[in-house]
Amino acid sequence: MGAQTVALAADAAGLSWRPLLLQLGGILLAGILLAVWLVAADLTPTERTTLSPASLVVYTREHLALTLLSALIVLVIAVPLGIILTRGPFRRLTGPVLAVVNIGQAAPAIGLVVLLAAWLGFGFRAAVTALVLYALLPVLRNTMVGINQVDSRLVEAGRGMGMSALSVLLRVELPLAVPIMLAGIRTALVLLVGTAALATFINGGGLGILITTGVNLNLPRVLVAGAVIVALLALLIDWVGRVVEHLARPKGLS
Amino acid sequence: MSDKAPSTQLPDTGSGSSADGGRSITGASILLDKVTKRYPGQSRAAVDGLTMEIPAGKIVMLVGPSGCGKTTTLKMINRLIEPTEGRIVLDGDDVTGINGDSLRRRIGYVIQAGGLFPHMSVAANIAIVPKMLGWSRDRIAARVDELLELVSLDPVQYRDRYPRELSGGQQQRVGVARALAADPPVLLMDEPFGAVDPITRVRLQDELISIQHELQKTIVCVTHDFDEAVKLGDWIAIFTEGAQLVQYDTPERILAEPANEFVENFIGSGAGLKQLTLTRVNEVDLQSAVTAEPGTLASDVLSRLDERGHDHAVILDSRNRPLQWLSRRQLSRLERIGADRDARLPLVGERASLNDALDIMLVSSVGAALVTGGRDSFRGVIDVETIMDAISKAHEHARTSHAHGKPVGINTNSMDAITAPRPAGPEPLPPEDGSRDGE
Amino acid sequence: MFEFVGSRFDQILFASWQHFSLVAQCLIIATVLAVVTAGLVYRSPALRSAANSVSAIGLTIPAFALVGLLIAPFGFGVVPAVIVVVFFAVLPILRNAVVGLTSIDRSVIESARGIGMTRFQVLRRIELPMAWPVILAGIRVSAQMVMGIAAITAYVLGPGLGGFIFTGLSRLGGANSLESVVTGIVAVIILALILDFLLVGLGRLTISRGIRV
Repeated sequence: MGAQTVALAADAAGLSWRPLLLQLGGILLAGILLAVWLVAADLTPTERTTLSPASLVVYTREHLALTLLSALIVLVIAVPLGIILTRGPFRRLTGPVLAVVNIGQAAPAIGLVVLLAAWLGFGFRAAVTALVLYALLPVLRNTMVGINQVDSRLVEAGRGMGMSALSVLLRVELPLAVPIMLAGIRTALVLLVGTAALATFINGGGLGILITTGVNLNLPRVLVAGAVIVALLALLIDWVGRVVEHLARPKGLS
Repeated sequence: MSDKAPSTQLPDTGSGSSADGGRSITGASILLDKVTKRYPGQSRAAVDGLTMEIPAGKIVMLVGPSGCGKTTTLKMINRLIEPTEGRIVLDGDDVTGINGDSLRRRIGYVIQAGGLFPHMSVAANIAIVPKMLGWSRDRIAARVDELLELVSLDPVQYRDRYPRELSGGQQQRVGVARALAADPPVLLMDEPFGAVDPITRVRLQDELISIQHELQKTIVCVTHDFDEAVKLGDWIAIFTEGAQLVQYDTPERILAEPANEFVENFIGSGAGLKQLTLTRVNEVDLQSAVTAEPGTLASDVLSRLDERGHDHAVILDSRNRPLQWLSRRQLSRLERIGADRDARLPLVGERASLNDALDIMLVSSVGAALVTGGRDSFRGVIDVETIMDAISKAHEHARTSHAHGKPVGINTNSMDAITAPRPAGPEPLPPEDGSRDGE
Repeated sequence: MFEFVGSRFDQILFASWQHFSLVAQCLIIATVLAVVTAGLVYRSPALRSAANSVSAIGLTIPAFALVGLLIAPFGFGVVPAVIVVVFFAVLPILRNAVVGLTSIDRSVIESARGIGMTRFQVLRRIELPMAWPVILAGIRVSAQMVMGIAAITAYVLGPGLGGFIFTGLSRLGGANSLESVVTGIVAVIILALILDFLLVGLGRLTISRGIRV
């Protein structure tokens, strides 16, 4: 996963607005096509209820709640942890911590979701916990990579000018780590949107219910609509992430 | 002989700024007192019992092969690396125990390629230390412009640029400006010009010399380039492994009298040629020449050449600027001397080094060069013999004279340095080696 | 737990083998597809950035959503499982192959052309061997990712260890349900480790000593 997350940051480096506009255009177009298809299609009453705008809004809201709450918890845990693991005496813990987090990543997402449900019971709480475990790695690793890739001579220059260790962290290391950290956060968000679709298996809510309903009741149109909406939501979140990266990139970096 | 050689009494270690012949030294003296740095798990100390005095207002160059501990020594002065043992004394105050961050705010620090923060503009980079010291915004802005002027960058043009929009040389200039921001008495430089091309490097070195001429800071500079050390240094400290100080002396004396084979090897071939870079044309005795104005009869000039036993005559314009340099043969072909200007005259300014002069005379057809002073007026002729004479005199002077105010520099555990092989020559130990140990 | 594993050891072993074999075969297909695609696009900046966009955007599509989409045309079984796994496996390999092929020093390629190699010879004998470490890194990323994705394909009744997880889910609270889920998870993690180990070994054997880091 490491190569992937780091490379994602690298492709953020050559960012310009054009691909971003293309991505947004594509998402909007697909969204409109989906809406037109839903309106025009000859839906059965069951399909009509499941795919009514009101219920779609509810499912989407649940899905976003799962995603954003998990992302927030991931940030609160992984960013400080990543920073601590780059500080002198804690560096030796990097290996063990990454090993543990890596297993969280290697475990199948569906397995984590079910396991957490067995432990915490069905519902929102178990789903969020599983999602947090699953999305910890990209943020943690990119925070560490982001800070460690800052040229050590810049850190030394800062210290050599009399900046305190904290001041170097806040004014030099973190600003220069921002692009890579944001890429990690975007990766985590995208993973979360996708994985949140699995929450439906443990009654955690979200858009996944459209897919399972479609399969269970043999309603292919519900199934396809659900899958497309989840995919579009992931692309939209990815787009928002890229826009933030574009705006938050420190001026002066190439 | 050189204008860099200390001719006045150096202030004692401890007295900070003092007047020095009208130009005021703003630098502070530094004393490393039996400083040792040991890293855990390494049997040899990186720096072993080094005692070294760095006089105020001078440029001291730390040179040696890579891994010799010169950079460690430098970084112990601002305590980026904490010494294991020993004291650091800055301007008479023991700073070994004070807060490292506030110490470093009083010491400028320049690293290779400037070490500029890429996410901050040039002005923001320079403003870092003044901001930490709580200066007002107006004062900081004024200071930024002043410093950019000092390092020859137009403030209006460069203030708001980001480092990546600057060339390597410009980045390095901003690095120097940033280090000077809060007017620190001491400037530490770690291979400052290592990352720029040779032409830019020479220019930056010249600029540093002129900035130092104006500011008189105490500058400690690490380099692996001995020529750079000779060019910039008032004093050069040559280290071997474990920061063993092999020789600490003026460039002239190190070139004339290397302490041992290691130093000889380090100087490399052409020590004599390097001597040439230390002496300026106006410091040697120039030869006079037969001069004439345009319009004079060539035969008159020829007869004056006969009188003086010279072979060439210099033709000067009304403002004493050389126009032509004519040989007997050329004169014999003329009736009257013309007023046109020979673009290929071998001219050398009197502030140029003997090295530059030699360069020019080697390509001139006469094997000599014309020296010009202020407003390009003619001063005299310099030829190869003049240079040979000057070098042998300088060499003799450097070998026999005691440098005035020579700073202390020893390793307390300097067994290695003492047992190092002596040079093959018959010379006994230079006397100051003994006196150094006594101090 | 031990009892559960002991009594179903053969079944676990068989499912693990199926899982591993699905992933391994899909990885081989994906590598071929990705390297061929990269070889076709890497010389044109426009195609290159198109390939990069495809892999970046493809990776944002949730695996479960794609599994759902494929039920409609392909029904249940092995086919949608293979398609999903290959689809996701291609993306990281494609990106790394493009990066690997484009980041080779120009002077190396010029000197190869200079001694009379054809474009194809340069690709086969110079560029691919030099890009191979980067491509292999992409394969390792893919391998780890699709191990987990393959578990999701059990939802469309694909082969492999995902079955243990979904069985456990359907009987959660009942006898042996937790054991079943844990078995599925742990076996997937172990398989991922084994496959990664094998890929590292493959690298040892196939990466020229001259460019090994």
